[in-house]
Amino acid sequence: MAGVPVTTREKIEDLKRRDGQAQLGGGPERIEAQHAKGKMTARERVQALLDKDTFEEFDRFVVHRCTDFGMERQKIPGDGVVTGHGRINGRQVFVFSQDFTVFGGSLSGTFGEKVVKVMDLAVKAGAPIIGLNDSGGARIQEGVVSLGSYGEIFRRNVLSSGVVPQISAILGPCAGGAVYSPAITDFIFMVDQTSYMHITGPAVIKTVTGEEVTSETLGGAKVHNNKSGVAQFMAANDEECLEMIRTLLSYLPSNWEEKPPDKHVGDPASRTAPELDDFIPDNPKTPYNMKKLIKTVVDADSFFEVSKGWGKNMITAFARLGGMVVGIVANNPMHLAGCLDIDASRKCARFVRFCDAFNIPVVTFVDVPGFLPGIQQEYGGIICHGSKVIYAYCEATVPLITLITRKAYGGAYDVMGSKHHGADINFAYPTAEIAVMGPEGAVNIVFRKELDKAADKAATYQELVSEYRAKFASPYRAAELGYIDEIILPSQTRGKLIRALEALKNKRTFRPVRRHGNVPL
Amino acid sequence: MAEIKAPMGGKVIKVSVKVGDSIAEDDEVAVLEAMKMEMPILSEEDGTVAEVKVEAGQTVEAEQVLVVLN
Repeated sequence: MAGVPVTTREKIEDLKRRDGQAQLGGGPERIEAQHAKGKMTARERVQALLDKDTFEEFDRFVVHRCTDFGMERQKIPGDGVVTGHGRINGRQVFVFSQDFTVFGGSLSGTFGEKVVKVMDLAVKAGAPIIGLNDSGGARIQEGVVSLGSYGEIFRRNVLSSGVVPQISAILGPCAGGAVYSPAITDFIFMVDQTSYMHITGPAVIKTVTGEEVTSETLGGAKVHNNKSGVAQFMAANDEECLEMIRTLLSYLPSNWEEKPPDKHVGDPASRTAPELDDFIPDNPKTPYNMKKLIKTVVDADSFFEVSKGWGKNMITAFARLGGMVVGIVANNPMHLAGCLDIDASRKCARFVRFCDAFNIPVVTFVDVPGFLPGIQQEYGGIICHGSKVIYAYCEATVPLITLITRKAYGGAYDVMGSKHHGADINFAYPTAEIAVMGPEGAVNIVFRKELDKAADKAATYQELVSEYRAKFASPYRAAELGYIDEIILPSQTRGKLIRALEALKNKRTFRPVRRHGNVPL
Repeated sequence: MAEIKAPMGGKVIKVSVKVGDSIAEDDEVAVLEAMKMEMPILSEEDGTVAEVKVEAGQTVEAEQVLVVLN
């Protein structure tokens, strides 16, 4: 190594040498090991995530301050996390990327300080913060300092919530306390087979309960995307994951004061869809493809689904209508009859609250037969979880547009963005059935005495069901009462929704002053 | 061996496969009626039907096995 640099030229060369050393992270061997697992390095990920040549790095020379367990002899510039800022599709973002090649990406006091620095800057600058997680957890040698750092990060996650979008990608291990930072952020992406999240790992579980599991079956990408609902997006590899984050951000404003970015793709607002007039099946019991209906209505290639694998009886997605970003909520008659259950309620409520926090209008497509009956649902607290949906819609101040395509029965009618819960414009198809309950059930209750007395019970029952269906299983009762503003032709859905969105563009709603509401968590 | 289970309680109104049929992912194996709706039960993988455990008209509970694939 050259001696102490004296001249300016030597000082410049010295900086270049130090920069080059820092770029290597944990060194070539560990980088190779990272690649062998099918993973990119922390720096490669940042480069792939951001627009070309836009990354500006901070704290490249930060090293830890630990002097226990011989750590004073092991110092690597950067200390296990790459932080800074750059652009995605030309828009400013802040980013931190945990470097598994440096001390296993474990979190030290200085590591935490680096993360906190970019989180604070993101809030000040009103730009999204993206965290790329690949870490073995706390740096044990640092003891409680490491725990303190986690806490500082969690608190900032909470205070930034609803201020700027917070996005997490899990690209390797994320275990123990480390899971709670991503959990508080708005969206979690996971990569299949190479990432996992759990509070306690397989070893601890085996000791305590005797159950044997692997990290993958305990907290892999499929588990959290399909079973627990902890993660909202799953990718096949790092590259795809980072590309998906870029797509998600194209639908989001940079902060709560901005409107989401309009993007016109030349799909005219006047486009009608004649095929939709034959789309809803004649038999009210026959399911149909709600996603197809939505994709036909929204701007071409603008359907980006959230939580695709979990609570499939509810569809949540970002899309554009006439260039304007919307959050789509829809019941899915193809799964569990489109009923509301615990998972669907949680999924819907969290999505609506995200949209409301970031000025994204909510368009709701309703085809819901009711809440799912069952002991498991009641024991699981469907009362609490279902009320989250009510809470989310009622507190929302963004434009709310609702379209009832077919069933809207019972309490589920109220819950799914009804006029009574503050929706601004409510549409229905002529195929809508808006009633307190379905004809079969209603007849059994309302006409119990008549049915008891009837000579031919079956014939009387069928007659009464038809009568009830004609009278109440339609949108016209609700339209007479003004609960539905207009009954529309399915072929004209797109134009109707776009004009409604335009009408509501400058919507203002005022709420009573209070500290904060008490959402039934 | 893969089991295809009822996603929710309801009445089986149609069994669409018989033992020995070879089926592909997303093929309908039965139709269940619940919550005023008919729902097709689709296979999650390719396989041959080894066993049909229900018949039309039968009431099933959530998670009850309908069809077993080889």
